[in-house]
Amino acid sequence: MDRYELRRLDYSLTEDHIDLQTAYRQFFKTHSDIETVRAAEPSGFDKSLWERLCAMGATTMALPESVGGDGATLVDLSLVAEELGRSLAPVPWIDHVVAARLLARLGALDSEEILQGTQIVGLDPQQVAPTGTRLIPIGSIADHLLVRDGQDVVKLEFSTRPARVDNIGKLPMAWVDPAAADTRVVLASGPDALAEYQRALDEWRVLTAAALVGLVEETMTIAAEFAKSRYTLGVPIGTLQGISHPLANIAITVQSGRGLVRRAAWFLDNEPEERPELAPSAFVFMAEEAAKAATMAVHVQGGLGVSAEAAATAYLVRARGWALAGGDPGATAVHIAQIVAARESKV
Amino acid sequence: MDFSTVELSAEDEAFRTEVREFLAGVVTEDVIRRDRETGDNFDEGVHLALGAAGYLEKEWKTEADGGFSRVRRRIWELEKRRAEVPWVTWGTTAMVARSVAKFASPEIRDDVLRGVFDGTVRLCLGYTEPEGGSDVATCKTRAVRDGDQWVINGSKMFTTGAHNCQYVFLITNTDPDAPKHKSLTMFLVPLDSEGIEIQGIRTVDGDRTNIVYYSDVRVYDKYRLGDVNGGWTVVREPLDAEHGAVAAADDGLADVAIMMHQAGFMAEAADNVAALVGRSGAVDDGSVAYRLGRSVARLEASLSSPSIFGRVALAQTMRDIAPDLMDIAGSVAALPIGADGGADDRSEYIYRFAPLVGIYGGTLEVFRNMIAQHVLGLGKPNYSAPKAKAS
Repeated sequence: MDRYELRRLDYSLTEDHIDLQTAYRQFFKTHSDIETVRAAEPSGFDKSLWERLCAMGATTMALPESVGGDGATLVDLSLVAEELGRSLAPVPWIDHVVAARLLARLGALDSEEILQGTQIVGLDPQQVAPTGTRLIPIGSIADHLLVRDGQDVVKLEFSTRPARVDNIGKLPMAWVDPAAADTRVVLASGPDALAEYQRALDEWRVLTAAALVGLVEETMTIAAEFAKSRYTLGVPIGTLQGISHPLANIAITVQSGRGLVRRAAWFLDNEPEERPELAPSAFVFMAEEAAKAATMAVHVQGGLGVSAEAAATAYLVRARGWALAGGDPGATAVHIAQIVAARESKV
Repeated sequence: MDFSTVELSAEDEAFRTEVREFLAGVVTEDVIRRDRETGDNFDEGVHLALGAAGYLEKEWKTEADGGFSRVRRRIWELEKRRAEVPWVTWGTTAMVARSVAKFASPEIRDDVLRGVFDGTVRLCLGYTEPEGGSDVATCKTRAVRDGDQWVINGSKMFTTGAHNCQYVFLITNTDPDAPKHKSLTMFLVPLDSEGIEIQGIRTVDGDRTNIVYYSDVRVYDKYRLGDVNGGWTVVREPLDAEHGAVAAADDGLADVAIMMHQAGFMAEAADNVAALVGRSGAVDDGSVAYRLGRSVARLEASLSSPSIFGRVALAQTMRDIAPDLMDIAGSVAALPIGADGGADDRSEYIYRFAPLVGIYGGTLEVFRNMIAQHVLGLGKPNYSAPKAKAS
């Protein structure tokens, strides 16, 4: 590609963006503190928080106006996702809005309840479609599940929802066997349908990357505060470069990941054909860095950091579990390579 | 937020065509080959041509002062990178010329600036000392007053471009007993002065820098910039710019971080390697695709990182991904540019260049310190006690 093309590099947020960001930061701060997060761990889902979030318009905003939504951009949604990640909110917002948007694009969003979030829709977010029984991140709480089956995009419903299995991401994850579904509707078939599904995978990745940015920034901030007040040999440990430089590297990760998330989201919103490698790139970068950063944040806090009660460990497990919910991130890296190699080898 | 292609007026479109044609005409294959051989990262013929065409002056001046408009400045920057115009010596010249404009005596100021604009005067940096490292305020090069002259003794490392320049922007110590930030005085020392010896040093990326020795070099007081012992004020301004501690423009018509020019070579190398494995079919191998995809992800993340964060991210990412890009390209990545049967994908150049990018203009540790202290609020780094002075 032409790396010297004259494009704007404007990452600035508008006032509307900042208002949105502030509103959701405040919302999650008020309603999803660490005790709320811990309390939801047995089910992976806080129903009352979800209802509040839906009442705030977080699900309807994400859908196109043609189906009764508010037509928010992915850039808008990435701002919400970052705040959700910052507070580790136990709600299936990313999966639900990505799946509902896919339904809308396929002309299959006919439910006011999905729009409002009173019915939850999930999807299989793996880059390479698995066959048979697979883990689905919100499989235990979803009313509808979208999966690929060969050339088909299929909607599944279970009269009894699949049981949750405990998992490191503290998600409402479940084993789902598509063959065991009580209803199975083919929504669309063929290359166009699969392209729309790929778009959903890209949206899931850019929003999950945004959530990981917020997650990493918060665990870094907690660790940095600790490093200011913890002394060794008479000096705050934060003044030692063995502590401060790893924390500085995490700050760099946050800025890099955030910039890439927003650039990727902007391209998906405005010129989706132009840079399709950016959304998966944001995910691959944050999936790797979130685990490293969350581990370092625990390490900075030493013996106190490793306690199961420490906030740092709540961040540590989700840093891994949220990324892993989409399958091996390496499969997404392979997808990036296929896009870029095809583009660059064209004469 | 906006990443769209910039709509150009007919005049600006014509400007882009004119610049592209002009640069293609002056930066010939001969220029590129010579540049590779000498490592100068400067070509006098090209530089004088840019000066004669008025481009240097327009680049240096603000729009209000008759320089390029924002959009033309951006076109100019991008087209220079596309054409691979040698850049190092103009970079230092433009930077030092700001201090000249602000602090030089009128006696020399106008002459120097005229030469800067027509290309005949080039300026280099005399900051780092063999024992000083990244802390430019640690300065042992002495300047002692003698009537209306100063006598300078000492040595400086990394005076890149000195052999192609007319003046060096020199940090000297004029009060060894004062605290270091109150002991410095800046001079614009003519490089044809008696007692100056320039010794070339080739660096691993193929460029040339210099160590410069000053033995009883006499300069007139008119070449002093700023007050005696007030050198820190003079030097700090261009240092801030060099460190990238300048806010990004919100019209999106500028790099979001310093060293983006250097990072462009990394982006091109990644694209080249992608083309290579795409054409050969090697990308169908999962281990190749995984490493390429991961490298692209890290590259794009670094390109999205602003200000001093980007300063570290770009250099660090160059170091991180160059080995993988080379491995993917295969043994052919071992060959230098232009070699028989070589792929010229430049991944091996990025590997050799990356250490430089993390050192010059302030090492990565300097920026990590800045982020830790000023962004995270972790306080000044603690160092062990200085070595006791031998009495």
